[in-house]
Amino acid sequence: MSYSIMKTNEDNEVIYQRTDADGLVRLTCLSVNPEFQAWLRANKDSLPNDIQAKIDAGELTIADAD
Amino acid sequence: MALSKIRSDSMADAAIQSNRNFVINGAMRVAQRGTSVTGLGTNSSGTYHTVDRFLVFANNTAGRFTMSQSTVTDLPGFANALKLDCTTADTSIAADEYILLGTRFEAQNLQSLKKGTSDAEPVTISFYVKGNANATYVLEIFDNDNSRTINKTFPVTSSWNRVSITYPGDTAGSGLGDDNEIGLQLVFWLHAGSNSTSGSLQTSWGAYDQTKRAAGISSFVDSTDRTLEITGLQMEIGEVATPFEHDANIETTLRKCQRYYYQVGYDGDNNYFGAGGVYSTTAAMVMLPLPVEMRAAPTSLYQSGTASHYGSWGNGATQVCSAVPAIRGSSSKTTCAIDLTFSSLNSATGTYVYRIVDASGYLGVHAEL
Repeated sequence: MSYSIMKTNEDNEVIYQRTDADGLVRLTCLSVNPEFQAWLRANKDSLPNDIQAKIDAGELTIADAD
Repeated sequence: MALSKIRSDSMADAAIQSNRNFVINGAMRVAQRGTSVTGLGTNSSGTYHTVDRFLVFANNTAGRFTMSQSTVTDLPGFANALKLDCTTADTSIAADEYILLGTRFEAQNLQSLKKGTSDAEPVTISFYVKGNANATYVLEIFDNDNSRTINKTFPVTSSWNRVSITYPGDTAGSGLGDDNEIGLQLVFWLHAGSNSTSGSLQTSWGAYDQTKRAAGISSFVDSTDRTLEITGLQMEIGEVATPFEHDANIETTLRKCQRYYYQVGYDGDNNYFGAGGVYSTTAAMVMLPLPVEMRAAPTSLYQSGTASHYGSWGNGATQVCSAVPAIRGSSSKTTCAIDLTFSSLNSATGTYVYRIVDASGYLGVHAEL
């Protein structure tokens, strides 16, 4: 499974989506979602381009683990 | 009956014993997400799959297993258990491998433990367990606020047995924050490599040491014959395991679980879940009321992955979505705000009601620890 940007909504919030191994998107989330953040931490050296671009632009932060 | 005939000590006992179990859904009665998921064992830093409030962790193992809410017929007083069934064995165990089963507690619900003080309370954890054969696993209490653990082994046989383990109070550390974050976790260690087994098991409270967390355990994935069932999980203050405290009814357990996860599913043709407005001819928003105040404002929304499982009714017509429902940041502890997308709504004005239109559809609002 992997995450990508789904859209930016009318409130200018970036919504992320998780695509499962079968190609279906079963989860949408905000940037602060703990599961998404855990995935970011685990894959920080090989993130998809759209997500890496958000991090490089300072629009997405990888939080420290609890 | 005259009041003098009622024993005061019985009344006192009853008062002390109510609401003593810190574990939610310990009888494994509620499984909102579903009753069985196959192929677990891929890397996970903690994911909920079937029985509410119980999550699975895995790292770098080739072992795979099914997690289910099983039906129990041979343990009087219990109708369900959480069952794990190994489907792919892994006998070549790398150092960093592990498979864990856990449940988490909000720190604000644990203040009575007096953790980190000289009056810290002991707790006794009890549960019924059954496997396919003899095995030994570890049950750990992990203190998230202070990174401290205590770990004790327990035996499993091919029959139901009640395990009871008493853990001393922890007088060290800074106690548990009075907040809605993770305070403690109960962690069942079921499979581990040498990174977690090379030290001596930490059977007294101490600072987190990965090497001391699972020494002496068997492996749940050493054979595809392996099964493990657990039910009646209870954590209570004191040094004695009292009888398992069942909730009064299923509604009570469900409401406790819905503080962390709420799922609405298909329930026939009239399965409307909310009303809302439209932004445009393609975009709508619905507010899904939550039945209990959640632990925190939800930050994720689960659904079936198929857009056409969701739809609207308005202006005399039903339409199905063209993208899967998505969460909005305007969600709160009491309402989940959801975006729905259509190829073309009949009108960009008026009120629409929204529904799940397929038996496989669901919306899952997540505020788990």
